[in-house]
Amino acid sequence: MNITKLEFLDQAQINGETLEVWIREEWLVPSGPATEPIFSEADLARAKLIRDLRQDLGVNDEGVGPILSLVDQLHSLRKILADLLQSMRDQSALPDVGASKNLE
Amino acid sequence: MKDPYEILGIPRTASPEDVQKAYRRLAKKLHPDLNPGNKDSEERFKEVSGANDLLSDPDKRQRFDNGEIDASGTERPHQRYYKDYAAEAAAGHPYENRSGYSDFAETDDIFAELLRRQEQQARRAPGSELHYGLSVEFLDAVNGAAKRVTLPDGGTLDVTIPPGIENGQILRLRGKGAPSRGEGKAGDALVEVSIIPHRFFSRHGDDIHIELPVTLAEAALGGRIKVPTPTGPVLVTVPKGSNTGSTLRLKGKGVPRRGGHGDEFVKLKVMLPAEPNPELEAFLSKWTPGTSYDPRGDMQP
Repeated sequence: MNITKLEFLDQAQINGETLEVWIREEWLVPSGPATEPIFSEADLARAKLIRDLRQDLGVNDEGVGPILSLVDQLHSLRKILADLLQSMRDQSALPDVGASKNLE
Repeated sequence: MKDPYEILGIPRTASPEDVQKAYRRLAKKLHPDLNPGNKDSEERFKEVSGANDLLSDPDKRQRFDNGEIDASGTERPHQRYYKDYAAEAAAGHPYENRSGYSDFAETDDIFAELLRRQEQQARRAPGSELHYGLSVEFLDAVNGAAKRVTLPDGGTLDVTIPPGIENGQILRLRGKGAPSRGEGKAGDALVEVSIIPHRFFSRHGDDIHIELPVTLAEAALGGRIKVPTPTGPVLVTVPKGSNTGSTLRLKGKGVPRRGGHGDEFVKLKVMLPAEPNPELEAFLSKWTPGTSYDPRGDMQP
């Protein structure tokens, strides 16, 4: 579901200025034009994570970026791992590695 | 239900600051977004935030201490965390970041192959769906129409409203969503239709309902009257002796549907003249309708 900027501010319980900073820092990447950004539920959940980090977990503004970056890398790694396991289960989907290996 | 003090690991005498400190210490360890895939920590975090909700509110805490409320119902309703979305997100979503594994990709094995494939997938991933709302006039929704929507960014979108569309229905316009971040196809635009209510038509399923005012003479003597339908007025015969509440069915004058149309139901409503009418009053004062005319006959207590 799409969320407009106003709904987003309300549901994420942040003000417009804060949102601007978060987007500028690329902590949030909404879709749509910058004048009329469109947010997803994932963006909203991410905003709540940022709020939790700053309010409950004692992370300062400098710390949020690196944590989000690590969280993003972690999710990408989890995805790679899930795909890897899937292709191991699904033997036919295994790439033909042996043939292309060229040991000189 | 466990004791909230026990969950936070604090004595019953703990100060509000202690409660907050204890909660933060546990949240740092247990926050589900910092422990994706760890069901156990998610469960514990739920307990911990429930305990914190109870004990950080002085009023609730006091009532709990006095035994007026117990700790049940303090668990927060199931919340979706960012990790839940990240786990479902398609390749190529804006927060994807696997720049950190390029070192693996240089080797020539399954993992590298997978990474390459995923990268390709991400490049070819279609753009995201864009959602729009569109208000449609009642009659356009019944009969169908072509609409041009102006988008927030100034562009336009041509939308064909199929006849008989329902309120809340979503039209998918292929390729009219956001462009792909890589080389993939554009996403789809999803247009949610909300139908503006009509002044006198209403709709129940495929049938149209209308309340039609008729004169006293038309009801009592019968006659041919013009009745509005979604496709224009039609002449309808009102049978002699009709009454308020009498319903006429106009077959096939309802909403188009697969293999035909619904019907229109016309509910008559007898109206006296808006202005007092001396002739009618003179007639009624002399008129003796007989004993069988008692509209409240079955309302006797």
